[in-house]
Amino acid sequence: MKDSPSKPNAPIGPAQDAAPDRPEVVRRAGKTHHGGRSTLAEIVTAVVVAGFLVGFPSMNPGYRFLSLAITTGFTAVALYGLGFQFGQAGIMSVGHAALMGIGAYTAGILAGKLGIGFWVALPCSALVSAVVAGLVGLPSLRVSGQHYIIITFCFCALLNIALTNGGQFTGGATGLDVGSIGSAFGLNFNKLLNTYYLVVVVLIICLLATHLLVNSSYGRTLRALRENETLARAVGINTNLHKIGALMVSGAFAGVAGILQAYYLRHISPSLYGPFPSLYLALMVMLGGSRLLYGPLAGAVIVSFLPEILNLNPIDSRIAYGVALLAVILLLPGGVSAGCLNIYRWLTSKRRP
Amino acid sequence: MPALEISGLRKTFGGVIALAGIDLSIEADKIVGIIGPNGSGKTTLFNVITGVHKPTSGRVMWQGKDITGRPAYQIARWGLVRTFQQAMSFPGLSVRENVRIACERARGDHETTRAEWGSPDKLLHFVGLADRGDEIAGAMPFGNLRRLGVALALGVNPSLLLLDEPAAGLSHSEADDLMELVFRLPKLGIGVCLIDHDMFLMSALCERLVVLNFGTKIAEGPPKLVLNDPKVREVYLGSDL
Repeated sequence: MKDSPSKPNAPIGPAQDAAPDRPEVVRRAGKTHHGGRSTLAEIVTAVVVAGFLVGFPSMNPGYRFLSLAITTGFTAVALYGLGFQFGQAGIMSVGHAALMGIGAYTAGILAGKLGIGFWVALPCSALVSAVVAGLVGLPSLRVSGQHYIIITFCFCALLNIALTNGGQFTGGATGLDVGSIGSAFGLNFNKLLNTYYLVVVVLIICLLATHLLVNSSYGRTLRALRENETLARAVGINTNLHKIGALMVSGAFAGVAGILQAYYLRHISPSLYGPFPSLYLALMVMLGGSRLLYGPLAGAVIVSFLPEILNLNPIDSRIAYGVALLAVILLLPGGVSAGCLNIYRWLTSKRRP
Repeated sequence: MPALEISGLRKTFGGVIALAGIDLSIEADKIVGIIGPNGSGKTTLFNVITGVHKPTSGRVMWQGKDITGRPAYQIARWGLVRTFQQAMSFPGLSVRENVRIACERARGDHETTRAEWGSPDKLLHFVGLADRGDEIAGAMPFGNLRRLGVALALGVNPSLLLLDEPAAGLSHSEADDLMELVFRLPKLGIGVCLIDHDMFLMSALCERLVVLNFGTKIAEGPPKLVLNDPKVREVYLGSDL
């Protein structure tokens, strides 16, 4: 205490030797988690993506591709949730369509039994899905990794059985009819184009929300528990609370996706939310990459549009998905988005002397 | 007044008695060393104090509060923070993000430490990692990982820091640098409780040594007295037959 504090901020020990030659990827690693301020490249990408989403209908896509774009859009909304829980908190799920189903059936039951329309049902769906996601997440406090993945799969299969045997309440195997959104804000949502814009607006909100969450201290907290749970607890992070929190955020996204799907299809049935659609969601997230902002969107677009453009029949496309998934896991562990980023970095670093 | 008071602390794993009833008190303004042969229960003691393991019986009091068996994150938030023997970090994140995570959990009201490491960059400077902020933590050499481990614990602004073999696996000069850093902590109002095997270093650094063997405390006191204690000499050097 009595010692005079001589140079309190002097670094300890000998000066660190100058950074030795190491791969570019490692030296620039600080930027992989979009840490800090937005760069010009990020803003340009955002404008290009938003421009493409808004401008897509003016490319005369026709009824078929516009429908496909809507499907891709609300799927991407769910994927942003799944990408958040997997990419940030490191918790994968292969039963994510079940949470979309909870959102969709919440909307369907509210509409059918209580006559509650889209706009009021929207927050309800998000909330119910979030709560269910939290409850399903409780086992994740005891088991992790593959073990928890199996639990999510079981939940998905169980929900399917429950919905199929729900009698009048869930409409059984036939499912429920959901009304239309009707008109709002002077727009008639019976027109496909307006539905597309609605989905795009929701998707852009999801993108923004994800960007903010990932760069917030909450995002960092989740990454901490993904990277090292024991250490996270040792620095004062309530890992149990934040795991459930991440799953609830993810569930809310899935709920919104579910209600969009329900009102777009106007009819929902259990088979939409079974293990197969769930596996597709997992595939999309792995393919696109979950840690970068545009990864989930890329995954949704690739998986939805590519078979259509290449004219693959459903069986062939499943084989193609399987091969693509293996290829991505082996060659691009961060997904297509991370692969693109690495190529971009490689190109820009080459140009600099 | 001792900040940490342990009484009758006992921990068994199946039939193995890791801690056989330990009484110990540690002040939050000194450097206290814990020594003992491998398997004597040093790390288990830390694990039980900081809530990684629940004790079989016994009590841990921290600043007059009973913290026995409380969750680890809660104990850390009360200012009792530990590091790990294995040089833990958040390996996939940048070094700056690592310390940022800890700093975001800093407990307020600590004037001195705020001046020393109120921000992630100051903290990195304090532990000598100032120019490593952009590196991926997992790609750093071992010595730097150890510094990062200490930085993570300091970022939380502890009142008492439990260091589990911070110098293990370091070269002599690296270990000296790290210990110089540890030596400055009590002046900043942070108590240190330290496990290490290096007797020379420990006796130079610590005001008080505690010796464990087979889960019991066999000696305690100033380093000179403890190291001349016949029971301690027997543990380390074997007895004359």
